[in-house]
Amino acid sequence: MTTVPADTSTPTSRRRASMLIDNVTWYFRFRMALDRLIRYAVAVGGVSIIIAITGIFLFLLIEVLPIFTPASIEVRGHYRVPGAEQAHTLHLAVEEQNEVALRVSDNGELTFFNTRSGQVIQQVWLKLPNHAHIVSFANANAKQATFALGLDSGEVLLVRHEYESTYVDNTRTITPRVEYPYGAKPIVIDPQGETLRRLAMQEGDDGITVVAATEDERLLLVSITKQKSFLSEDVSYERNTVTLPYPSAEVTHLLINKDQQQLYIASRGGNLSFYDIRNKAQPKLLQHLAVTRAGANLTALASLTGGISILVGASDGNLSQWSILRDENNNEQWVKFRDFEPLHKAIVQIVPELNRKGFVAIDEGGGLGIYHTTAQRTLLQRNVSALPLRRIGLSPRANALAVLDDRGTLDFWLIHNPHPEISWSALWNKVWYESYPEPKYQWQSSSASDDFEPKFSLTPLSFGTLKAAFYAILIAVPLSIMAAIFTAQFMSPRMRRSVKPSIEIMAALPTVILGFLAGLWLAPMMEKNLLAILLLFIALPIGIVMTSYLWHRLPAGLRFRVPEGWEAAILIPTVVMIGWAVFMLGPYLEQGLFHGNLVEWLGNPNKGGWLQGWTIDYDQRNALVVGIAMGVAVVPIIFSIAEDALFAVPKHLIHGSLALGATPWQTLVRVVLLTASPGIFSAVMIGLGRAVGETMIVLMATGNTPVMDLSAFHGMRTLSANIAVEMPEAEVASSHYRVLFLAAMVLFMFTFIVNTLAEIIRQHLRKKYSSL
Amino acid sequence: MTTIATDTPRTHGMDINSLQRDFGATRLEQEKIALQVENLNLFYAKTQALYNVNMVIPRHRVTAFIGPSGCGKSTLLRCFNRMNDLVDGCRIDGMIKLGGEDIYHKRVNVAALRSRVGMVFQKPNPFPKSIYENVAYGLRTQGVNDRRRLDEAVEKALRSAALWDEAKDRLHENALGLSGGQQQRLVIARAVAIEPEVLLLDEPASALDPISTLKIEELIYELKENYTLIIVTHNMQQAARVSDYTAFMYLGKLIEFADTNTLFTNPAMKQTEDYITGRYG
Repeated sequence: MTTVPADTSTPTSRRRASMLIDNVTWYFRFRMALDRLIRYAVAVGGVSIIIAITGIFLFLLIEVLPIFTPASIEVRGHYRVPGAEQAHTLHLAVEEQNEVALRVSDNGELTFFNTRSGQVIQQVWLKLPNHAHIVSFANANAKQATFALGLDSGEVLLVRHEYESTYVDNTRTITPRVEYPYGAKPIVIDPQGETLRRLAMQEGDDGITVVAATEDERLLLVSITKQKSFLSEDVSYERNTVTLPYPSAEVTHLLINKDQQQLYIASRGGNLSFYDIRNKAQPKLLQHLAVTRAGANLTALASLTGGISILVGASDGNLSQWSILRDENNNEQWVKFRDFEPLHKAIVQIVPELNRKGFVAIDEGGGLGIYHTTAQRTLLQRNVSALPLRRIGLSPRANALAVLDDRGTLDFWLIHNPHPEISWSALWNKVWYESYPEPKYQWQSSSASDDFEPKFSLTPLSFGTLKAAFYAILIAVPLSIMAAIFTAQFMSPRMRRSVKPSIEIMAALPTVILGFLAGLWLAPMMEKNLLAILLLFIALPIGIVMTSYLWHRLPAGLRFRVPEGWEAAILIPTVVMIGWAVFMLGPYLEQGLFHGNLVEWLGNPNKGGWLQGWTIDYDQRNALVVGIAMGVAVVPIIFSIAEDALFAVPKHLIHGSLALGATPWQTLVRVVLLTASPGIFSAVMIGLGRAVGETMIVLMATGNTPVMDLSAFHGMRTLSANIAVEMPEAEVASSHYRVLFLAAMVLFMFTFIVNTLAEIIRQHLRKKYSSL
Repeated sequence: MTTIATDTPRTHGMDINSLQRDFGATRLEQEKIALQVENLNLFYAKTQALYNVNMVIPRHRVTAFIGPSGCGKSTLLRCFNRMNDLVDGCRIDGMIKLGGEDIYHKRVNVAALRSRVGMVFQKPNPFPKSIYENVAYGLRTQGVNDRRRLDEAVEKALRSAALWDEAKDRLHENALGLSGGQQQRLVIARAVAIEPEVLLLDEPASALDPISTLKIEELIYELKENYTLIIVTHNMQQAARVSDYTAFMYLGKLIEFADTNTLFTNPAMKQTEDYITGRYG
């Protein structure tokens, strides 16, 4: 029967299995359960560390990513602009809440309408003199929403539009209002009454400046200055009129900058004349330049916010930024700062943003571009219409845009463009900032002025981080490695038992205390005793070697009183004595060799000697101070790890080397250091990682100046200190805030790269030199 | 109990008789002397490890130290190249003469001494370097950097350690890739490369498999021609196979020192006989 063996074998095997599976004591099961529990606990711990690190990285990434996203626009209204049939549009504007837009037409009508629907809210007819017509338009005050209209009677009318928000039943109603800052009666610019074909105007607190090109080719510069009488508070006006030479070709554009000091006259052929009109009675021609490519005309001209740069749009679609440079003799010169990604057709209009260094440009082919000057970034380029575009109005917050095309159709767009000022080149490359003589790496994130151009270069901060770490490592590595070698290989075990923990406990010293000492005690002390400190770096090694030599020349009887391995103890008085001697001698040496003060001597180019002609500036808080303070912070870590590595070198290797007739020094260099090299290497790298991430010491002892040079006598600003200093005052979700997160991410990457490299090299060394 | 010499020891396929030399001609008194130990006492801190040892080590012969664990045979061996200096609190009195010079004289250069008295340890301890660099190490520490001289010395040393054929194609590979037996022969080659007068072997085969042990033993036999060898071993058969003279030590004292045949076949001391017949040890 075939079933018989199966029948007999089944119970047997079941019984056998039960011996191993069922028949176990509770203690055995408890042990197994405990084992499993510990395994899970360890796994959970490890995985959660990985999750935490990844989480930090992702958090940083999420905070940082928005600054690299391009701008986006979405349409919110599409309608025939009210009154398009009757007259041409001179100007479009959108108020701050993006609810009401204004159209100024050349028949003197101001139409306020709803931005979403196009529904007319209010219409205002300007009070024009009889038979006068509007022929030209100029923005007079961007912040105050003031514009000027040039008439064919040689007069100018200044108009301001204002908006008032009222809340009725919890809904906002915006009521527009039109005002005439210089009266409803137009100001006479040309006494001869000629048509003001082209017009530029600026209105400010102290008066107005107008420049106008008349039909009969005269250029008139008129300034009206407010004079306030101290006694009576009466306001009187002083008027000044100058006629400027008319260019050889027809004047196409006129522009006056915000502070009424610069005048730009564009003439046909792409030429631009730059006038200095600080003295209104005597305008001075600075330069006359071709600002477009040969054959192209200048078709749009605008002043970048801040009034230092102008933006030029050309008939070939090119866009460029021009700005003024001052050389050492205060000579001014206009140069092209940068070009932007061109649009496809002739530029129709350039509208600068009010509060940032960005602008919007449109072209004849329906193309729209959003740019930022400092970052040299094209945030958006898009064809928004099949027809040529005529006019755009940008809201004061630069988050809404009204675009009018050739046929009178208006598109109302919302702009999402929160971080235009950041780009790869703005962060890492040299950037030519306004009024800088040349492109530079610069970190200057904020200032008191609204017109300020933020400078977000991370290069000086990264450089500062590496510089601080470099000086710290320069001081810490020789000290700690030498100490580790001596402790591990030569010191008596009893002495080692007390020396090693004492150095290691220094790692627990709060760095804020080290930073405090470095900034408030070491830095001023070093400034006073610079020569002594520098001498110390030379005198200490020489002194220690000399002492050791003398020690060996001592009679043996005296020497053997000190137990073996305790020789180092006699170096303690030596170090103290050398320090004392150097600080005593320092002032006399400075007196004798450096006219009393080394710091001043270094800063004086006429000092004579081999440093003649060199000036070495000395900052009180400098890289040397940081190097010493951070070196002290890093020494315990490097020492501890390196000492462990050196101590772990197998004794049988050391004995093998000594037995071959190698001296202890040869054994150290050729066997011990070689075998311990992976450990020493990781010690240095961990020290470097610590120095890179260190915050409090560099915060308190570097002076936090984001300069870029290698000088030991100059300060620096590190990524970590920068984050600590600026994060509390950065507006949440602003570009500045996100750049600080980017700095944190760069720091994270630094340590990540350092550690990864260290691990790779360490593994390689270990494979090569491990003897275990 | 019969003595070892009449038994055929475990030979691992080797003809034991080929290792037995003509002892009749060699009497200790007629040998040239390589090392001379006079009234040697050694202390580790407060305990005494060697008691008044007196002996001579014959030149170009193999001398074996046998004895139970802790009897001081390794300690005595380490006195010959002053490796005991590395032990904290180790103190010596008495005298050891190498070629008539006291090696414990205070003006003796220890490094120079060790280049004349080489040593091979129980566990193979090649440096984490290439085979070539391991062998060249001793010469390099003496300042020899001439490539041709090093090449020659390395080849010669490897040949005399019977490792050349196995290692010649991988001279520049890491020595740690060698097997245990090869590593031990490399270490011997490394010691031989600086051409010492005396070679101390501290249980050189105890960590090795039988085949490697055999190779080391053959090597010892060949090295005898040019070097004075002193070997510490736990393995009495090994002592009987490879040595010309054997010293038996017990509790820090040198109990008996004689040519190997005599010591194993006709020991003068009761303690020796007890040990070699396996009463203790």
